[in-house]
Amino acid sequence: MHKASFQQRPKRVALFVTCMVDMLYPGVGIAACELLEKNDIEVVFPEEQTCCGQPAFNAGYLNEARKLARRFLAVFAPLVESGEVDAVVAPSGSCATMTSHFFEVIFNESRETDLAHQAERLASVTFELTEFLVDVLGIVDTGAQLQGKAAYHPCCHLYRELGVDRQPRTLLDGVEGLEVVDLPHADDCCGFGGLFAIKNSGISAAMGRAKASNAEQSGADAIVLCDVSCMTHINGILSREGIACHAHHIAEILNNHLGSTLRPPSQPAPAQADHPRRWGD
Amino acid sequence: MTVRDTILSRLREALQQPHLPFPPAHSEPLTHTERMTVTHVDGDIWAQAHRFAQELHAVKGSCELLETVTEARLSVVSRLQLWLEEEQAARKTADAERPEDWDVLCWPLDQLQIEGLPLILEEVGFKLIQPTDLHDPEQRERIRYVRAGITTVEAAFASTGSFVVGGRGPNARAASLTPFRHLVVIPFSRLYATGEDWLAQMRHAGKLDAYLRHSRNLSIITGASKSADLEGNLTTGVHGPKVVHAILFDDLQQ
Amino acid sequence: MQVDIHAPYKDRVNQALSDPNLRVAVSKATDRMTNARLASMGAVEGQLLRTQVRKMKEHVLSNWPDYLEQLETNLTRNGCTVHWAGGIADAQAIVKDIALQNSANLVVKAKSMATEEIHLNHALEQAGLRVVETDLGEYIIQLADEPPSHIVAPVIHKRLEEIAEVFQEKLDMPPTREPTKMTSLARARLREEFFAAGMGVSGCNFAIAETGTICIVTNEGNGRMVSSMPRVYVAVMGIEKLVPTVEDAFLQLQALCRSATGQQLTVYCSMTSGPRQQGDVDGPEQVHVVLLDNGRSRMLARGYGEALLCIRCGACLNACPVYQEIGGHAYGGTYNGPIGAVISPALAPEIAQFKELPHATSLCGACREACPVKIDLPRLLLDLRSDLVQEGASPKTEAWGIKSYASLMNSRRMYENLGKMASIGSNLYAGMSGGNIKFMPPPLNGWTAYRDFAPFAPKSFREWWRQRSKMRGQK
Repeated sequence: MHKASFQQRPKRVALFVTCMVDMLYPGVGIAACELLEKNDIEVVFPEEQTCCGQPAFNAGYLNEARKLARRFLAVFAPLVESGEVDAVVAPSGSCATMTSHFFEVIFNESRETDLAHQAERLASVTFELTEFLVDVLGIVDTGAQLQGKAAYHPCCHLYRELGVDRQPRTLLDGVEGLEVVDLPHADDCCGFGGLFAIKNSGISAAMGRAKASNAEQSGADAIVLCDVSCMTHINGILSREGIACHAHHIAEILNNHLGSTLRPPSQPAPAQADHPRRWGD
Repeated sequence: MTVRDTILSRLREALQQPHLPFPPAHSEPLTHTERMTVTHVDGDIWAQAHRFAQELHAVKGSCELLETVTEARLSVVSRLQLWLEEEQAARKTADAERPEDWDVLCWPLDQLQIEGLPLILEEVGFKLIQPTDLHDPEQRERIRYVRAGITTVEAAFASTGSFVVGGRGPNARAASLTPFRHLVVIPFSRLYATGEDWLAQMRHAGKLDAYLRHSRNLSIITGASKSADLEGNLTTGVHGPKVVHAILFDDLQQ
Repeated sequence: MQVDIHAPYKDRVNQALSDPNLRVAVSKATDRMTNARLASMGAVEGQLLRTQVRKMKEHVLSNWPDYLEQLETNLTRNGCTVHWAGGIADAQAIVKDIALQNSANLVVKAKSMATEEIHLNHALEQAGLRVVETDLGEYIIQLADEPPSHIVAPVIHKRLEEIAEVFQEKLDMPPTREPTKMTSLARARLREEFFAAGMGVSGCNFAIAETGTICIVTNEGNGRMVSSMPRVYVAVMGIEKLVPTVEDAFLQLQALCRSATGQQLTVYCSMTSGPRQQGDVDGPEQVHVVLLDNGRSRMLARGYGEALLCIRCGACLNACPVYQEIGGHAYGGTYNGPIGAVISPALAPEIAQFKELPHATSLCGACREACPVKIDLPRLLLDLRSDLVQEGASPKTEAWGIKSYASLMNSRRMYENLGKMASIGSNLYAGMSGGNIKFMPPPLNGWTAYRDFAPFAPKSFREWWRQRSKMRGQK
């Protein structure tokens, strides 16, 4: 994946919010959107976007994955090619990996060279949120404030496919009042793995429990990560195991969505702190 | 078609498939100039000898560095005597002494480049065992319980504390393998900074290929026989020697 | 509970997950080996080493038949006998015949995955021969009548007390858990076997084409024993285990040792170029090399050639969080861990024989990061999944589910409706169970068996976006 270098600071980006954020965690999308806007980036949200096709690709259904990939390219590529936006930004390492790495792979496999090239061009201006904030905009401090202890969990696709690790850590270090502690075995997978969590649920959950016990050992009030899929898994395990720690998407922290203090879910949080996820309630 | 031809033709056919994802159609070999040297040692021969000692210690071996061949001669004798005492002490009985305690399985000692060594060893009472055919049941039986072996080396690598033993002619492979203790004598002239250095010099001299083929067997040995199979507990002397002691001496002064 | 490798996949996994000893033993050992690897690769230019070994091996595979012929020529010139084996039956027959012709009633073996692959011990025992594994770990599992569960650490799944029990039961060892005493006992017993054996068998870590040399790597010295003590020595090698030159061999050796156990070099690397000659004190009088295909040429043709770069160091097993949870036996084949999940199906006549394995991974990529030849294991696992789908080997309900999902997601209207329904449904349902969802119907019960699920948001991001845009009067 070759990333474009911008001659001028980008002005407008298209938000690829991802289907999970759209439907399950709109607060994360709102935070991402506001973070960009705070930094003088105009956000465009192409409403035709749905899912990137990763679940189909991961399960081995390449025809179905290509169907959704074609749709994605049809929605996003013209925006970039016409110059209407300078980049595509996603609050997810995993979905960004799918669109900026595996699209090319699946179209090469079907020898649809034009689409593969289009995917490659789009990939060069596609960024995960923290990658965009740090590498493109040069931000190290988002102005966020939060009291408490947090540990960072590097999600596998973000860390190993996109090679993004320093960026979210830098931004977390910039949060005033937040003590960032080490997560033991931090780069071990949480066990989510998409369909794996259903097909091999026993193994997946065992991995999740290992992650949860490491989270507990770290003494952190919160696990911070950049993918809501892994977040769903880790929180599902933490909740089931009754461990007083919660996973949060980094955007929520960087955009001050969690109130002033991190606290375990057992202690009721102030009402407004819950606002982003329950928006519209 | 023979099995051989079937296999080879299948491979050729597969490699000619137009869209084979792997391997790349054209790939260059790793050249001598680009191939990396993995480990490094700086300094003169003494620095290299010190490094060898340090590395051998790290893999449960021991080592002494000596300035002259005279010291090396004394050292071989006193090391064997020390081992003899240790063996007998370990048996914990007063009448522990057994005649086979004095047996030493060895290569022809003139190879050690230490003059007069066999004579001294025999004077002290050691019995030097130099088998000629270890598939002969009698000779094989003779070495079964020998506790110490002496060999020299083809080469030694300072950066890893390794040495290479050959196995042809009168040099029994068994001498560095079956005894509980292995005494290895290494003149500085056979010490190289790294394995890569040794290979490069052999290659340069144009003899690497033939040397390896004619060697029948070469073993690179790095430390004492060991295993971690018992739940990660490190144990030594599993099949090969538990005690590996190297005597390095400077033969470059003369 | 011990894992029965002949049981169906789901049972094997459940057996493995319900054995607390297994997890303790495996994760302790894999952590130790991973840390050793990281330290050892970090102490040198590890990334360059990986790049170079990969380049060298890629070149070999690009010119695979030529290098095989070169190896064959040189082995023959050195006085070795070369045999070619297409599959398991061929290979078994070759080795068995060599043993019978030489009246070798006792066979000593060094640890070898290739001989596991061809079930050699079983075949030789059927022919009335006694076969003794001499690697300490292999010896233990042979006594316990189990297959190896790790490429380099075969008994990784057993704790010390379990091993002590095996020794007490099978070798009449007095009760002890002293590793030194257990090792001495094994040394004494196996020494008798080495001296009595008529034939030694090993695998081959790599063979040098330019010289016709078979290299085997051990820490215990049993590799040297089996290739030096008996009159007959047989090396069974997968046909991909080739390097062009002596220097390449030394490079790969270092990558192997550092990646497998974090050693700079293993204690012994034994390089055999030919049989004993006139005047040699010892060494085998016959050296046989069995070149084993057993699916490797098919694997190349199927598009899984990248996995043939594997040098069998086991680093991917140690790095794998799935392997740490279930150990090796749950994989049910000769090879396990991430590389096993690729090569077990890729080597098999039908990929679908191991159809569960490509799914037994979260695709986290830790294996690729650990691999000394940078095999893109997650990618190969994805390819296998796709091949399984194309062969129609995936469950019908799954295929229907994925196709439906793709159709729904291909329409904005349907996507939005689905979102609304899921939101209303899950919130109603979550309300009943007090916040989080604790149970979902099949197939989603796989999720809620172990984890809670937070309901869908009452209003989606896009609804927020639209409302905000309206308020701002943009639309």
